[in-house]
Amino acid sequence: MPSFKKARALAALLIVANGVIPALWILLTSMKTETELMRVPITVLPDTPTLANYVRVFVDQPMLTFLWNSLAVATLSTLLCVFVSALAAYAIVRLRVPMGTLILSAIVLVSMFPLISLMVPLFQIMRTVELLNTWPALILPYAVLSMPVCTLVLASFFQDIPQDLERAAEIDGCTRLGAMWHVVVPLAGPGIFTAAILAFVNAWDEFLLALTLSPRVPARTVPVGITLYQGEFAFPWPIISAALIVAIVPVCLLIVIFQERVVGGLTAGGVKG
Amino acid sequence: MARLRVGPLERAERRLGYALLAPALLLLSAVVLYPIATLLWTSTQQLHLAQPWLEGFVGWENYDRAMDDPRFWSALGVTLIYVGVTVPGAILCGLGLALLANLPFRVKWPVRLGLLLPWALPLVFAGLIFRWFFEYEQGVVNAVLRLFGAEPLRWLSTPDLAFISTSTAIVWKSSSFVALVLLAGLQAIPSSLYEAAAVDGASAWQRFRHVTLPMLRPAIVVALIFRTITAIQTFDIPYAMTGGGPGHSTETLAMYVHRTTIDVLDFGYGSALAALMFLLSLALTSLYIRQTRRDEGTG
Repeated sequence: MPSFKKARALAALLIVANGVIPALWILLTSMKTETELMRVPITVLPDTPTLANYVRVFVDQPMLTFLWNSLAVATLSTLLCVFVSALAAYAIVRLRVPMGTLILSAIVLVSMFPLISLMVPLFQIMRTVELLNTWPALILPYAVLSMPVCTLVLASFFQDIPQDLERAAEIDGCTRLGAMWHVVVPLAGPGIFTAAILAFVNAWDEFLLALTLSPRVPARTVPVGITLYQGEFAFPWPIISAALIVAIVPVCLLIVIFQERVVGGLTAGGVKG
Repeated sequence: MARLRVGPLERAERRLGYALLAPALLLLSAVVLYPIATLLWTSTQQLHLAQPWLEGFVGWENYDRAMDDPRFWSALGVTLIYVGVTVPGAILCGLGLALLANLPFRVKWPVRLGLLLPWALPLVFAGLIFRWFFEYEQGVVNAVLRLFGAEPLRWLSTPDLAFISTSTAIVWKSSSFVALVLLAGLQAIPSSLYEAAAVDGASAWQRFRHVTLPMLRPAIVVALIFRTITAIQTFDIPYAMTGGGPGHSTETLAMYVHRTTIDVLDFGYGSALAALMFLLSLALTSLYIRQTRRDEGTG
């Protein structure tokens, strides 16, 4: 059926265009000169493609500092989140803790709490303990923000590991913790990895807390750094576009490489819950 | 209830369980429970960081002030309109994308990436990108308008148009997550149901109406709840696109709370506003959950 094939191709094109065109437009903008951008009517393809805007992103603004802060905060909060969530998920699924499901729903409920209502007291607390404009000010909240989805993903992975394997390990003389380390952790590897990607993307993307708890330039993350970009005159769109591309690329690579895992993890929480 | 005998092995296991749960609960108390308590307590205080000499307990005064504050009501109205427009918008667009993505493609990754990229983009970046699209002189939207001989519009500095452009950005950004959730729901529908419907001579519309939609209902509810919760908190996209303007026409509750606390430093009043926002989101989500429970009971 050629007509069905055509419709199918059209559908694919539509989805890809919807997802990619905004980023593509920014990519084109980032390669135009400021004078070309002033022209009306606007151009689609850059007349004289230039990489000068990318240089200026790193020269005019401390973009490397922003990237380093984002990377550090996202990585550390991901490690903390996955570690804590894995322990909790294992306890709930396997150790028959009384009220386990209740605790799980309490953890999930946290994700329903408006972030802005947390931001206000967190600012006061971080100010009191003098953690404003430091990495921990963001690492701790980010670890908790991703805890619901990570715990759900990990719980569903742990559930699929046959309990007999652990029993066998225990009969062979492993302690409970030993069995967890040698049997469960390797088997749950894909689940742990999925949870880690989700937590990382969440932390890399977060804006509101980063804007309020860590706004000073030396401690700024990428989203805040780009949004508060100070141009000499108006908002410098070619440079902003270049900065956006720089910031988007790492996460895009992550998504491209691990797309199946990400989709699986995103929907495990939603559909099973 | 009679106390069940608990063996020593089981007791040890339970102890281990509590030990493994402890870090999560500790973190949760430090970053969520204690701050909530702080929020509620501060909302009964006069606490202005620029005027520390005026501190003190004022009871419900901050809440009374909110009731008489036209800017609070305006922000509440803007937030509710955002919820009313962008939640159905994202669900409909997401459903459309999911139905398209559910076609039997031979190569699956381009479609999957097309859905994942908007999800992976920070909200505030989506805001910046759409702000660029809606710029007056160089924006691509006005360029298209000019192409068709129409007058370019001041998208970001006219109240209604600012609302339309920010809503467009929000719907674009959030519909891909909705599509991913709905797509998983679509793929879980057994094909035998469609075959049975086809045998009974059901048209494509009838199959959609009587097989797809009812089977997709749980996934739609999940997407609806998630989308509503995030819509109540709308902050990043209007912040990046309009800064709440022109005037306060796109200023949401979250933006007003942010301004009151971080810019004006009035933490007493800001806490009361944040507490009211918490109540609003609690009310809307419990409404949904109750509705779905009722549906499950009768259906």
